[in-house]
Amino acid sequence: MPDRVILTIGTRKGLFVAESAKARGKFTLRGPFATGVAVYASLIDTRGTPRIYASSCNPFFGMKVLRSNDLGKSFKETKSAPAFPKDDGRALANIWSLEPGAAKNEIWCGVEPASLFRSRDGGDSWEMIGGISNHEHSRKWQPGAGGLCLHTILRDGNRMHLGISTGGHYMSEDGGETFKASNTGIGAGFSPDPYPEFGQCVHKIVGHKDAPGRLYIQNHGGWGEWDGPGGRRPDIGVLRSDDYGKTWRSIAKGLPSDFGFPMVVHPHNPDTVYVMPLKPQTRTCPDGAPAVWRSENGGGSWKRLAKGMPKKESFFTIQRDAMDIDELKSPALYFGTTTGQLWIGHDGGEEWECLFDALPPIHNVKVAVV
Amino acid sequence: MTSTTAVELFVPEMLRQYCGKARTLDVSGQTVQAVLDEIERDYPALYVNICDETGAVRRHINIFVNDDHMRDLHGLNTAVAAGDAVTILPAVSGG
Repeated sequence: MPDRVILTIGTRKGLFVAESAKARGKFTLRGPFATGVAVYASLIDTRGTPRIYASSCNPFFGMKVLRSNDLGKSFKETKSAPAFPKDDGRALANIWSLEPGAAKNEIWCGVEPASLFRSRDGGDSWEMIGGISNHEHSRKWQPGAGGLCLHTILRDGNRMHLGISTGGHYMSEDGGETFKASNTGIGAGFSPDPYPEFGQCVHKIVGHKDAPGRLYIQNHGGWGEWDGPGGRRPDIGVLRSDDYGKTWRSIAKGLPSDFGFPMVVHPHNPDTVYVMPLKPQTRTCPDGAPAVWRSENGGGSWKRLAKGMPKKESFFTIQRDAMDIDELKSPALYFGTTTGQLWIGHDGGEEWECLFDALPPIHNVKVAVV
Repeated sequence: MTSTTAVELFVPEMLRQYCGKARTLDVSGQTVQAVLDEIERDYPALYVNICDETGAVRRHINIFVNDDHMRDLHGLNTAVAAGDAVTILPAVSGG
């Protein structure tokens, strides 16, 4: 019977692990692991005996993957990290995503420069997936501010959705062997063509197991005032698909900004989705008043959730992987800020509390009940 | 006619876990590149900390031959001779 809530908190200075009983009254913190090294991705793999994985993005000595078999009490490097073939010409710059695969011990990994790797042995060895890593578009993708990263891997049986910044949304229907760009309705603000075939700066893609055809995207919005070629393109930042990601439409109406990074779906209701709107110019919360926004009707309308959060002078930035939601009956949300605060939103975000207020800048937050 | 040379490679403390905790390694080779090739062959886990997949020395890693940075000599083609010390040293950077 799962009775503990485990949080992994990837920061600029290493990985922290927080643990609480199911009541989530008090979290204890351990770490940092990968001390002093940025951790952009973590995974709490609850298949079988739980394992925790984390990327260790060392600017001196290169990328590592860490693995814990004791729920984050200790970590060891796996036998190898993803690496490009020697004659490829690319070198791994960062590890942005770790996701469980279909088979036991299968792990998928998204990296910078945007490419996809798979391990079949729990991270000890890796193979590059040529269908996306060597896609005909791949040499035309451009880096966003965070680098040219493959940051989102969303699996649904043989379907796989990838988010690439800036490459857009790519979809596989053969288990990850081949991919095609699928960006109809996803706008781009930084090209004269508002709706290019590819090259969008997708920030996050989420879905729900009970509604596999339904997907949500937090895209790079904030182009409502653009007056150059191609014209204004408001509300391109928050989107929904109802046909497995083939076409997309805006659901941004009602939000204070269509710019943001993270996006989360309620574990028990695919109609309930959360975003954290940010001002596009500063990547911080509008008016210095942080708030998560929730829709309970699939993006038809939005409600501001900020009880317990600061009302002013708090210019939080929340990065793309720094918000998650647990799977308890009344789930709690969690987000981390680049100012090192870790917040919990009880009752689906109705009431917020700061769990830790002085961690290093937070890149990544994941939660699991084990 | 070629001959091998005995060179002492100094491994910084944080990388010794990848070479049996050795502080120094006796390596052969007539250039820095040849020394790195030997490290790749004999200590692949150590090598990937020094060079990336393209074979380039990582940006924040400095390699000295005796007291001189290899960039001030002939880079990876810098000659090494018996008795020389090759030092792997992480740069002072970050924040």
